[in-house]
Order: sequence, then structure tokens, then C-alpha cells
Amino acid sequence: MTSQILYAFITVILGVGGCFGYFYGSNWLLDRIFPANASNDASAVRNLKLQAMIRPWLFLGPALLLLTVYLIFPVIQTIWLSFHDKAGESFVGTANYAWAFSDAQFRQSIFNNLIWLLVVPAACTFFGLIIAVLTDRIWWGNIARSLVFLPLAISFVGASVIWKFVYDYRGEGQEQIGILNAIITYFGGDPQVWISLPFWNNFFLMVILIWIQTGFATVILGAALRGIPEDTLEAATIDGAGPFKIFYRIMVPQIMGTIIVVWTTITVLVLKVFDIVLTMTNGQWNTQVLANLMFDWMFRGGGDFGRGAAIAIVIMVAVLPIMIWNIRQANAEQGGH
Amino acid sequence: MKKNLFLGAALAAIFVATPALAELKYKPGEDSKFTWANLDELKKVDLKGETLTIFGPWRGDDETHVQVVLEYFREATGADVKYSSSENYEQQVVIDTQAGSPANISVLPQPGLIADLASKGLLSPLTDADKAWMVENYGAGQSWVDIGTSKDKDGKPQFLGFSYKTDVKSLVWYSPENFADAGYEVPKTMEELIALSDRIVADGGKPWCIGLGSGGATGWPATDWIEDIMLRTQPPDVYDKWVTNEVKFTDPAVTGALDIFGSFAKNDAYVDGGAAGVASTDFRDSPKGLFTTPPKCYMHHQASFIPSFFPEGTKMGEDADFFYFPTYASKPELGKPVLGAGTLFTITRDSKAARAFIEFLKLPLAHELWMADGGFLTPLKSANPAAYANDAARKQGDIMATASTFRFDGSDLMPGKIGAGAFWTGMVDFVGGKSSADTGAEIQKAWDAIK
Amino acid sequence: MFKKISLEPSRFALHLAVLVIITLWTLPTAGLLISSLRDKNQLAASGWWTALSSADRSQVGRMKGKADQVEKDGKFVIEGNLFEGEDAVAGKVSAFGTKVQTPGANPAGSTVELEGGQSLTVNADGTYVLSSPTAFENDRGGRVFYISSQPPRFTTENYETVLFSQGIGRSFVNSLTVTIPATIIPILIAAFAAYALAWMKLPFRGLIIAVIVGLLVVPLQMSLIPLLKLYNAAGTFMGVPSKTYLGIWLAHTGFGLPFAIYLLRSYIAGLPKDLIESAQIDGANDFKIFRRIILPLTFPALASFAIFQFLWVWNDLLVAIVFLGSGEDQLVLTGKLNALLGSRGGNWEILTASAFVTIIVPLTVFFSLQRYFVRGLLAGSVKGG
Repeated sequence: MTSQILYAFITVILGVGGCFGYFYGSNWLLDRIFPANASNDASAVRNLKLQAMIRPWLFLGPALLLLTVYLIFPVIQTIWLSFHDKAGESFVGTANYAWAFSDAQFRQSIFNNLIWLLVVPAACTFFGLIIAVLTDRIWWGNIARSLVFLPLAISFVGASVIWKFVYDYRGEGQEQIGILNAIITYFGGDPQVWISLPFWNNFFLMVILIWIQTGFATVILGAALRGIPEDTLEAATIDGAGPFKIFYRIMVPQIMGTIIVVWTTITVLVLKVFDIVLTMTNGQWNTQVLANLMFDWMFRGGGDFGRGAAIAIVIMVAVLPIMIWNIRQANAEQGGH
Repeated sequence: MKKNLFLGAALAAIFVATPALAELKYKPGEDSKFTWANLDELKKVDLKGETLTIFGPWRGDDETHVQVVLEYFREATGADVKYSSSENYEQQVVIDTQAGSPANISVLPQPGLIADLASKGLLSPLTDADKAWMVENYGAGQSWVDIGTSKDKDGKPQFLGFSYKTDVKSLVWYSPENFADAGYEVPKTMEELIALSDRIVADGGKPWCIGLGSGGATGWPATDWIEDIMLRTQPPDVYDKWVTNEVKFTDPAVTGALDIFGSFAKNDAYVDGGAAGVASTDFRDSPKGLFTTPPKCYMHHQASFIPSFFPEGTKMGEDADFFYFPTYASKPELGKPVLGAGTLFTITRDSKAARAFIEFLKLPLAHELWMADGGFLTPLKSANPAAYANDAARKQGDIMATASTFRFDGSDLMPGKIGAGAFWTGMVDFVGGKSSADTGAEIQKAWDAIK
Repeated sequence: MFKKISLEPSRFALHLAVLVIITLWTLPTAGLLISSLRDKNQLAASGWWTALSSADRSQVGRMKGKADQVEKDGKFVIEGNLFEGEDAVAGKVSAFGTKVQTPGANPAGSTVELEGGQSLTVNADGTYVLSSPTAFENDRGGRVFYISSQPPRFTTENYETVLFSQGIGRSFVNSLTVTIPATIIPILIAAFAAYALAWMKLPFRGLIIAVIVGLLVVPLQMSLIPLLKLYNAAGTFMGVPSKTYLGIWLAHTGFGLPFAIYLLRSYIAGLPKDLIESAQIDGANDFKIFRRIILPLTFPALASFAIFQFLWVWNDLLVAIVFLGSGEDQLVLTGKLNALLGSRGGNWEILTASAFVTIIVPLTVFFSLQRYFVRGLLAGSVKGG
């Protein structure tokens, strides 16, 4: 046991140290090879220029390398697979895509995903913002934030058990163990099978993701709020602005960048969500979403990689509008440095 | 940095029991119910220095049991046997075989998955000698060979899956004391079973607990019902044709079976929780209804593994017992069919140790060691029935041995996309209100889509 | 100086609003916590809120068998208490019965005649007397059903099962070994990359940013097989095992980089331009600027990302199993806890307890990183120049 801990310790130190080593080492090397305070001015200027050209790539290098290997390479592989048959052997052209758009489940998933995309990111960002602002000013704010953060810390498995105990259904006249049905029967209503109600079951599943991800929004927006200079807010109050005015005239614009980041990240996350749907309903009762459908085709019953890959590509294509919007934002910011 | 604190905490605060070196659970030579002679035979195989990796579906208590058996193999041959498992088991097998780093032996619970892997050429075939041995030594041996046979990459049928550890499925569980309190008798025919159900309803109770919920696998218990009903309403060759889709899901034989199941599960008076609760009740929670006060239901149709989900302290044979899911008195020509399932050992990365392990599984001792621990059934004729842990297991083993017709679980035999997909979801829709004709059509459509 | 921004008269309303929101938010989790402290047989039988108060409940008890009978006044008598035994909790019986269908047929204290001349009396305190004119034959006593109200019973046995299961310490250390570098390394790499993309001159900068945002959406499952194939190939080529810690660190880093770079870049780009320009005028090169100025200022964003990355890696099971393995020695904490559920799962009590066991470490990280979310890191730095 001790040897294992020691081994773990050493592995960690080596790993992290290696990383530090690269950055310090490469920059130091660059400074050595192209010294800024060289013998004469001309070479000094030239060296500085060279440094400015090379250094960004030193900074960016490891990231680009890792991204290429771990994400871009699989994407290319996926595109390739989507044009081949289930075992990845023979070329089938666009057959998989044709199948996808004619499949009822696929169309249902797209519809469901749209609803998810409209509701969840907006709800999470909204609640996250409200909670971040409200808890900023009270003495037990940190505790409140950690309680909102708690669902995020519980793994998906834990969350699915929690919500099983919320949505559970027992027959009429029987003791309910799901809190939602317990409340309803207490007030004299009939217990419902929440996860199978047509159309509305999607919203019950969304509640779970909102419950989890609002913590994410709260933490990030909370950090951003703390970054607003105190003086700005003071000045506004002195000018006589009330709390609501301060909120939407000053706070929101100041952290707009962060709000966009949060909203984008959650949107992308919603496109990828499948654990919740898998464990609660497995796509039954018209709750199917694209990511779960992809998982189903990829791994169930031996795997049809062609169709699974095609669905994955559809998911990735769906994010293009967001990408484009973000580029626009990035170019529009005080750029040119 | 903060993170180092955690390592320190791990050092100081975490209590760790030094894992006890696994020892042989039953001392060789003691207790004559085991065939110890096998151990001497096994010692002749020398695998010192060889590593054998096994990937199996058993975790928790089941893992402890399989380690008991593996320990004897380790001791006798000197091989280093590494067993591992994970949730999302099927996903893991697909990933590892595709990526080229599978275990030596992968234990698969579904011939459907085996068929898919075999058609991609990822499984090593077993020998003709293995095939012949199974026909000889397993009860209804040819059936077991058939379920382990799949088409390989070139379309040639190969024997690839060695069955070990089986389940009997055609069982109905009940509480004998509850039956006695109410004055009910164990029904011997299907007609009696239906009459009993009606009588329980008339007495104000609910006869059945049915739960299909199982996370990503929701719906599978209903497929067991349908298969059992098929075997009791149609001759066995119709069942065989159904499993290969020669008899389609839209055939009246199949929709008829669906309707009979519907008369149980879609009947609000028959089922605890009503028809609405059937699909949303978890299959692991539903048998508990047998043991509540007053009982939520009196009977539960489920396979032989379900006692592990009964309340703790339930004594088999006294608090809970089972009877054979009866056949129709009006159809005596169909005999006493039994539905079963099991796990199959396949070789995903060939090695000397893997082959030696398959030989090990042929020895009665390998079966008896787990029989004694409980929760294990085998069709091996030469395994000593005295090794079964209790009478209930012996009774189940007996059912397997005396079945006039034995059939493997149909949904396990169908292609993965159906047997572990459309069939399950179709049953959930059926219980939710869809008609049998529509359900059959849906499933058939899915099957046509993968042909 | 910190001046309180006046939000009167809504001070009280503010606290109330937050309280309501927080209560609603925490209710489901509280339910799980209470469930984890309940007896496992009760877990799926009744709602967790019922465990908070005494409630009338139908129960079944078993009387003693023939071994305990004594002869008294010509009759054979078995006496005992329904509330005896390791599991029983003392309560108050209000009614009892001898048939499971009617557990409350007779009020406590009364005597009921049974077949064969036997009679049974059950009292409110749980004591019972069963008498018969002939000797009892059965080893195992008969059942008695009763309705009683019992105080809530909590137990820590679920936690004990989880914490003392074999191999849990080892898997805990494995988890830490995986998570700590998988959090630190992405922070380092992403911070440098983010600064480069925010403030340094780069060709194709816009395109790179766009691609990184796009990579946020790559579903994890698509990467697993190609990457594992790559690792296996690399492993065979270099003669080393393919499933190592380095492999999983790099994998987690790769998966976490898009979000990290996205978040950090957005934050760094928002830093005041003057800061960097004045440093450049002073002759510092980018590396120095980054180390001395940018990095300290980005702590809130770094801390945010660290929390989420740590959380994600800590709770992850899939990547760990694929890239590290599921054997005894490599299994991480989440895998070990999952294995406790058995081959078919369904041990809800283990799930509830293990959910809270795994939560402790990420929660500690969250609290300890809170101090980086300090107000006014930038205040004063702009004015002072």
C-alpha cells in the first residue's frame, strides 16, 4: 500500500513536472537561441521579431498537438466511418445519412434536441445569473452557492438515483415513494407516471439537467461578477441607481463575455447529453435524443459504426452556427493586438 | 499546493484492509461431493509464467464466487489469472475488441452479441473436439452447441461459445406461507393458474407483480414472458423459426402470445400498480411485493437469479419458493418446455492458457465449486448434484435435466439490435397501450431494417 | 474599502428568495442523504420523508419455535417479544393478526383463538403468548402480523459496506493519481494557449478559435475506439503497456482542452490592454508577462476550470476503464463503487452511500479554491497603472 502511494506520488510529480519543464525549458531555449540583448541593434531587433513569431507557437504547440490527436483525429475517423458499412469495411456512400433522415426515431430525436436546446441553456444561464447575483451580497452566499453546486459534484449515477426517488410511480391507493407523486396524492390527485407522459416527459428530464448544470453557471458567473471593479458599482449607486438598474445596465454588460461562454458551453453540452436519457427512460416514450441514439447504434447489439458515426456527424454539424457566431464575436472584440 | 494535501490525507486517513491472499475455499480431498480427482488432472497442465485475462459480467458477490473457482485453476496450473469486469459491459467488449486489446477470454451473456463479433472475425473458434464433447456431456447438448455457434467472417458457422453457468427461466416465485394463509394451492396447469389469478382478484388481492424497468435494458422481462408463452402455445419448431425471423413478428402465433401476455400485464386488476406501473417498476424492486404485509401480490414470473433481490433474510424454500410456469392442460402434446439462458465463454485473444481454461471448464469440479456457493446451475451431466448449495437449486437443476424441450432465451438468440433493442422497447410500448398487431409490426419493421 | 451597496428595503426579501431557491434545489439531494442512512429493506418500500417521523406500519414478526416451549398448567406455551432480535426496534403495537391478508384484525391485548385449540395473545409492548394443548412440532415458529408505530431508525451500515469494502483504499489512491495531473496539466497547457490566442500575434487566429469551439461538441464515445487503437499500436511499437497513467492524463487533457481554452481565452481577452502594454514597454517578453502578470490575474478563471475539470475526471468511469483498465490494481474509485452494486445493480442503498462518499473530495476542492474567487483582483490595478 505504501509502495503504491509512493509510486503514485512519483508518477504525479513526474507528470506535472514534465509539463512545467516543457514551458520553462522551451521559452528559455528560445531566449538563448535568439537573445534579445544581442551584440548589435540590428540582430537584436531581428531576434525580437523572430521571438515574437516563434513564441506563440511554443505557447500554443502542446495544445494544438493534443487537440489534433485526441479530438481532430477521431473526428476525421468518424467522418470516414459514416461513409462505410456497419463494420467499417465497405464504402456505402451516403446510405447512412439517407437512412438517418428517413428513420422516425432520428427525426424524433432532432425534434427533442431542439426543445432541449431552447430550454436548458437559457434556464441554466438565467438561474445561474440570478443565484450568482443574489448570493453575492449575503453573508451565507458561499454556502448557498456550494449547495447549488452540489448536484454537479454528484456523479450522474447518483443524480439518476435521486431523481428516480422523485419521479417514482406506484399504483393508485398505494404508498408513493416518489416525492412528486407523494405531494400530488397528498392534495388528492392521482399519481402519474411522469417519465412516460407524452411530450411533458421531456421537460421532466430537462429539469434534471437544469438542476445539475445551474451550479456550473453559478460558479463561473459568480467568479465573473467578482471581477467587476467595485468602483463602477459604487459610482452607479451614488448616481442613484436601484438594484435592478445596476443589474441590467451595469452587471450584465460587464460580464456579457462570460455569459456567452456559459450559454455556449451548456448548449454544446445539451447536444451531447445522453446519460440522463439513458438511465431514466432509454429514449422510450418519445424522449430519444441524438446522443443516446448514437450510443445505441454504436455499442448496442455489437455496433453499427456506420450509422452511429453518421449520427455523430449530425450532432457535430449542429454546432456550426455557434462556432460561426463565436468567431464573429472574437473578431469584433478589441482586436488587433 | 492543495493537491498534495490530498495525497497526505490518503496516506494518513484511509483505512485499507490488506487484501487477503485468496486461498482455496474448499480443502482438496475433503468433502466427497467434489470430484477432487479433477484437480490432479489439472496439475499436469503447466502454465507457469503465463497470464490469462478474463473479462466477465460478474461483479460484487458473483465476482467473489468466480474468484473461488479461478483460484483452483491458479493453484493447479501456476497461471496468473486476472479477472475484471465493468458496468456498461457490452460497450467495453465492443471497444476492446475493436481497438485490438481484448482479454484472452470474454464471457458474453448473449449469443446475439457473439454473432456480431464473430461476423467481424474477432473470435477464435473452438475445436471440433470441444463441440463433440458438449453434445455428449451436456443435457440437451446439441441445443447448447447450437447457441454457441455463429457465422464467422466468411459466413461459415463456427462453434465459438462455451456455455458455463446457466439460468432457468420458466419459474414463478411465491410465498408458501402467504398461499397457505389465503388457502391457495400451487397451480399445475395454465388453466389453474388463470383461475387462481381470478380467485385472488375476487378475494381482493392482486395476483401478479410484474416489473420491466431496467435502465437501458427496460423491457427484457416481458420478452421472457413472451418466450415462455410461445413455448406453451406453439410447437418448438415454430419457436426456432421465430428466433430466426422465418416466422415473423406479425404472424398470428406471435401476436397471439402477445395477447396472452397482455391479459396478464395490461389487466389493471391482475397487476400490482396497474398496467401503468408495469413498465416503470424496476425488475429488481417488483419481487419485493411478494413479501410485504399485506402482500402486494402473490406470484412473480422470473428467472432463477432473482432471489438475490429478495429482502435480506428470506429463507429459500420456506419464505420463498417457486413452481414451474405451467403448461396448458388443453395442449398436452407440447410437453414440458423449459426456457433458459446462460453465459458463454469465448476466446477473444487466443493463447495456450485460454485453451487450457476451456479444458478446465469441461471438468465437473469447475462446475461443482460454484454450485456449492449457490446461484449457479449447469447442464453438465457429470457434475455431482449433491454439490448444489440447497434444495431449491437442486430442484431447478432437475427442471433443466428433465425438460422435454429445452430452448435458449429467444431475445438472446435474435440479432442484438432486435433482441437487445427493438423487442425490449416494443414490449414497453405494448404494455403502455399499443395493440399486439401494431407492436408486432413495429418490431418486424426494425428487423427488416437490419437485414 | 468595501462599501455595502444598499439594496434596501429588500434585504429580507433577498434572504427569503435565496432561501426558497436553495431549499428547492437541495431537497432532492437531502432525500438521497436521508435514504443513505436508512435500512436497505426500507429504502424501496417507503418514501424517504417517512423516515423522519414515526409512522404506523404493518410488520411481520416470527415467533419462536418448538425449542423454546415450556409446559405451564397442562398447556404448552411459547412466550417472547416481537421487538426482540437484532433488527427489531421497540415500538407500540396497536393491532395484530395471524393472516398476512389481515395484519390488523385484532386489537393489541386481546386473545385470538386459532385452529387446533391454540390461542395467541399479543400486547401493546410486543410481548406475545402462544399456547397449545399439545406440544409444538415446528422448529420454525409461525408468523405474527402487527401494526405498530416505530420511531425512525437510521443506520450507518450502508456507509460501512462502502468504506470498508475490499480494495477501496487502493482505488481511492488510483483516482487521485488520475485526477490530480489530469487537472493540473490541462490548466497549464490551456493557460498558455489561451494567452497566445488572446494577446499574441498569430496567423489564422480566428480560425483556430473557431475550431476549438467546434471541438467542444465532439462526443466522447467517438474518440474511444480510434484512440485506444492508437495507444495499442504505440504500445506495441515502443514495447510498453498501452494502458498507463500517462495515457489517461493525456486523454483527459485532450478532452478537457476545448473548454479550458475557450473559458480562459475569453477571460484573458477581457483583461485591460494597458496592463500588458505597459509591461511590454518595460521590456518584458511575452513569457515574463504571462508568468508575472496574466497568470495571477486569471486565478478566478483557473480556479473555476480546475473545479470542473477535477469534478469531471473524478466522477468519470468510462474513460478510466477504457484507457486504464478494470483490473483490481487499476480500477478507480467510481469503478470500485460500481462493482459493489453487483452484476445486476439494484442495490440502491449502496448507490446512495457511494454517491456521498465520492462527493467529499470534489467538494473539498471546491471549498479550498473558493478563496481565489476574491473580489477586486483588478480593482486598483487599472487606476494605478
